[in-house]
Amino acid sequence: MREKETTLYIGPQHPGITGNMMVKIKIKGDTVVSSSTHVGYLHRAFEKLIEQRNWLQSFTILCRFCVPEPDPMELTYARAVEEIEGREVPERGKWIRVLVMELARLQSFMLWYGGQSGSAGLYTLGQWSVGDRNYVLDLFEELTGGRVYHMFIWPGGVRRDLPKGFKDKALRTMDYLEKRLVQYNKLLFDNVIFQKRAQGVGIIPKDKAIEWGVVGPPLRGCGIKSDVRIDEPYEVYDKLDFIVPTFEGGDVWARALVRREEIKQSISIIRQVLEKMPEGEYYNKIPNPMKWKIPAGEAYVRTESVRGEVGFYVVSDGTERPRRVHVKGAAYTHAFTVLDKILPGQNISDVSFILNSMGACPPEIER
Amino acid sequence: MNTTINDKNSQKIVDYIKNFARKNSLFVMAYGTGCGAIEIPPTMTSRYDAERFGIRGAATPRQADVLLITGYLAVKTLKRVIRVYEQMQNPKYVIGFGSCTINGGMYWDSYNTINALDRYIPVDVYINGCMPRPEAVISGFVALQEKIQRGDADNGKKYQENLEWYRNNQKKIIKDWKMPDYNW
Amino acid sequence: MDNELLKEQELLNAITKAYDVKGNVIRKGRVEVFVKKELIPSVLLYVKEQKGYKHLSHVACIDWIEQGEFQLTFNIWSHADKIMLYVKTRIDRENPVMENLDGIWDQLNTYEREFREMFGIEFTGLVGEKEFILEDWDDMPPMRRDFDTVQYSKDHYYFRPGREDAKDVRKTLTDRTGEEIPDYATKYSREK
Repeated sequence: MREKETTLYIGPQHPGITGNMMVKIKIKGDTVVSSSTHVGYLHRAFEKLIEQRNWLQSFTILCRFCVPEPDPMELTYARAVEEIEGREVPERGKWIRVLVMELARLQSFMLWYGGQSGSAGLYTLGQWSVGDRNYVLDLFEELTGGRVYHMFIWPGGVRRDLPKGFKDKALRTMDYLEKRLVQYNKLLFDNVIFQKRAQGVGIIPKDKAIEWGVVGPPLRGCGIKSDVRIDEPYEVYDKLDFIVPTFEGGDVWARALVRREEIKQSISIIRQVLEKMPEGEYYNKIPNPMKWKIPAGEAYVRTESVRGEVGFYVVSDGTERPRRVHVKGAAYTHAFTVLDKILPGQNISDVSFILNSMGACPPEIER
Repeated sequence: MNTTINDKNSQKIVDYIKNFARKNSLFVMAYGTGCGAIEIPPTMTSRYDAERFGIRGAATPRQADVLLITGYLAVKTLKRVIRVYEQMQNPKYVIGFGSCTINGGMYWDSYNTINALDRYIPVDVYINGCMPRPEAVISGFVALQEKIQRGDADNGKKYQENLEWYRNNQKKIIKDWKMPDYNW
Repeated sequence: MDNELLKEQELLNAITKAYDVKGNVIRKGRVEVFVKKELIPSVLLYVKEQKGYKHLSHVACIDWIEQGEFQLTFNIWSHADKIMLYVKTRIDRENPVMENLDGIWDQLNTYEREFREMFGIEFTGLVGEKEFILEDWDDMPPMRRDFDTVQYSKDHYYFRPGREDAKDVRKTLTDRTGEEIPDYATKYSREK
């Protein structure tokens, strides 16, 4: 029987898509023949707007680059500005930054649990993990004042010190989450449906992964140990004790296992930070932001976010406003070149499953 | 249903029941148009549990009652949103979510995002804030429910009556208009 | 020479020996080379195939309107050396033409499509749909410095009038501290 080739559009309005983007696939029967990704539905011209604002006003824009985890964006930009200006960050400021980063990683992983299991048709876990994510957001609210967007990390440190009693509350939350994670894993990783759907699906070949620009958990799921936190240790990550988990296989299952281990590492890092954090200054005050000029220079700074490396290329021409800020979202290559290469040959029902495991995030692709 | 009820009081009772039924089963279109989509999962899940109010997701426009515009709209998305809105069946409601649907918010000077949503499609309720908390989202839905119970929320009809004005505004920024014209 | 920067210096020497380029070591793990436009494909291929700089981390484009040039920066990371190499080049702004490079790295295709749309740089031989992010765009490429996004927004979108009692708070604040509001801040102020 000859099968006709059909074109299907997944998105922009589709429950299985990860954000507002479109994947156009050609199918033969149930099998994907080719795919191409179309973006632009979320283009807000951020890089143009940053050129209109001054160095500090940009922070309200920056955290909106990627909605599920705004903090790596703030940190990367702050570090780039500090590198150009040569501004020092006090020791306690660095520790608080790491704490914020790991809390952000934690809440983003909880959201991923919901997305990944939801795309496999397992809705219970989504209810649990997204509900429990609120406890992490509560910590954020107490620390920064915002649930989703924080604007907490500034050049020269962080805006506020830890509130009273924060340490106990955070430790209690970690204890609770650790107990819950066991139950999540029973529900997801011990589930035969998830095992059968994830194993051997969406394989990224190990020898091509670096060349294709794969970063983050998908790269570590190919068995390559790569993490900006150990490659170029920033803040105080070199003083902390954590491992970077790697798994062989390169399929959705391996990526899920990497994330499962990374959540445990995040919780362990948060405990260490809360224990080891020194007392002292947390903010190296910047001058009047309206007149704050940064000397001319360029810097490219990377940070490890949940989906991989986030890079900021910041150019200053010596005025109050950034000359150019170009953002490399972690999923920039994942959503285009990698997806085009791993989707052919897959079943049509696995498309949104693979999309979730790659962590494609459209707002940081088109900015 | 074409049975006419001449009696004024009977009509009142029918309207009350109709509106009561409508307000307690609001199917929300699952279209995350902007960054506000991040607060929808918490609203739907265990802590805030919007399903208590009869609010739940619907996958296709034809089965949805509420179009939730979660944040800024790029011009490219506006085209899809209009398409989605026109596919929805009457009665249909629109909730503008976040400051950027009201006056552009922080994107007021962006070349690619619209500033005032109600120029393009009629809006029933605005929820302000960036981002609105799940409590605010639920409060917005409750305001919409009250509006439905009062019988004020017939913006689908308003859209049809003023279609020309809306079309002019839409075509001002959407230059390549390749969409089917729906006549309901 | 500083012992810590040995690997960086080695890389720089190898590139400057093989090609007619200039460069310098910025700090630990950061090396930059300035390459002529014509030499870009061969330098990129050289560092990728010979030196093991396999991970193209990022490509940035900067509009230097004063000098009449676009700057392209390729940031390439080596997992073995742990060095980020900046390969920088300048393109004429009046006639921005560049060779298509997506044969070297596939992901360059999307970067090139983005720069074609946002800056108007032509990449000869680039396949892929013309529209990448924008749709039905008929103005000048928007990321160029001379494109006025405020004016465009005012011309095309509807502004909602603000509250009448809304005052420019910056004036009150600066009066208190005795500082002046800079020109660019008053430019968009509601009170003229």
